[in-house]
Amino acid sequence: METATLSIGGIGVTLTGDANVALAMRLPGMAVFEQPATDGIVVRLDETLAQPSCRWLHSFDLEANGAKCHFGVGEDGCHYHVFGDNVVLRYDSCQPDTVACSTVGDPWLLRYVLWTAYGMATLHRGVVPVHSSVVVCEGKAVLCLGESGTGKSTHTRLWCENIEGAYLLNDDSPIVRVEPDGVYAYGSPWSGKTPCFRQERYPVAAFLRIVQRPENTIKHLGTIEAFTALQPSCPPVLAHDEGCMDMIVDFISAVIGQVPVYRLGCLPDADAARLSHDTIFPARQ
Amino acid sequence: MKFDDKKKVRKVAGENIVIMQSDNTVDMTKVVALNESAMMVYERLTGRDFTVADVTRVLTDEYEVDEATALRDAEALVASMRKEHLIID
Repeated sequence: METATLSIGGIGVTLTGDANVALAMRLPGMAVFEQPATDGIVVRLDETLAQPSCRWLHSFDLEANGAKCHFGVGEDGCHYHVFGDNVVLRYDSCQPDTVACSTVGDPWLLRYVLWTAYGMATLHRGVVPVHSSVVVCEGKAVLCLGESGTGKSTHTRLWCENIEGAYLLNDDSPIVRVEPDGVYAYGSPWSGKTPCFRQERYPVAAFLRIVQRPENTIKHLGTIEAFTALQPSCPPVLAHDEGCMDMIVDFISAVIGQVPVYRLGCLPDADAARLSHDTIFPARQ
Repeated sequence: MKFDDKKKVRKVAGENIVIMQSDNTVDMTKVVALNESAMMVYERLTGRDFTVADVTRVLTDEYEVDEATALRDAEALVASMRKEHLIID
């Protein structure tokens, strides 16, 4: 049996299995997070898992290759994700730190399966991969939220180009955690199309929900709007399960109690970056 | 009528909300927020069949309000909760 260990979002991740362990560690960025792990979660790859008999909660097509995916609860009480025709992921909440997964052939799919496995097994710890592009400035993280194509990555690029010292932490799925002394964002091996893999951790200064507008405006959101801004950026598949949704709601409640959430209506220009920067980091008198 | 037991009221940072699940990828989640009196009615009447008269009684029991005003408020509350499918037949 092969084994590899990583630290992602401050959580130890042990991969066990056969060929998929080596394939996983060859994925872009994965090696950056390689680290000895004594505790944390275990992802058992290359398991023999039959097609489950489930009450399906949600189905969707994978963007990259159109494969049909399903998420549901099995007769055995376990949560199942099925990717395409024959990849099965099983999560038993009685063993909350372990995920089992059948062998994946396609490296791209394995990357997605690992992201799903991580999100599943760490949710009960208040750890959530948040779909966002993250910039670091003055030692703090600013997370830009929005559906694909709304300009998250454009906005963080504008920060990097126009704000002194700003740099990209992750371009797709940083890990966000509520910790005893605040809310933190971690780099991750999942960074979308941008190879930006950093084993770094910063307190979160703010969330920005990006909306395209003909002029630049920024608004600090109240509790309910902040919730509606953050929720779609948490793993959307899990929102279809009541127990998972309860944990996501607890996570968002804790986050928005500590970190401001803004809606930024913006053009793709330098002024938009200066507006959001100056709002989050007001000039010291 | 009754409250749809599939629509769960959740507490988010002190607010009572119901998350409206959508199958499509949406930019913002739709939520319905319950104010204090709506939450009172929900807590007292959830899990059983009720009428507008029951809602009216909750309001007159809990608030200093005359019968006619309470009835009007109850009808408005039921109508808006029906519109958001929190109340079903």
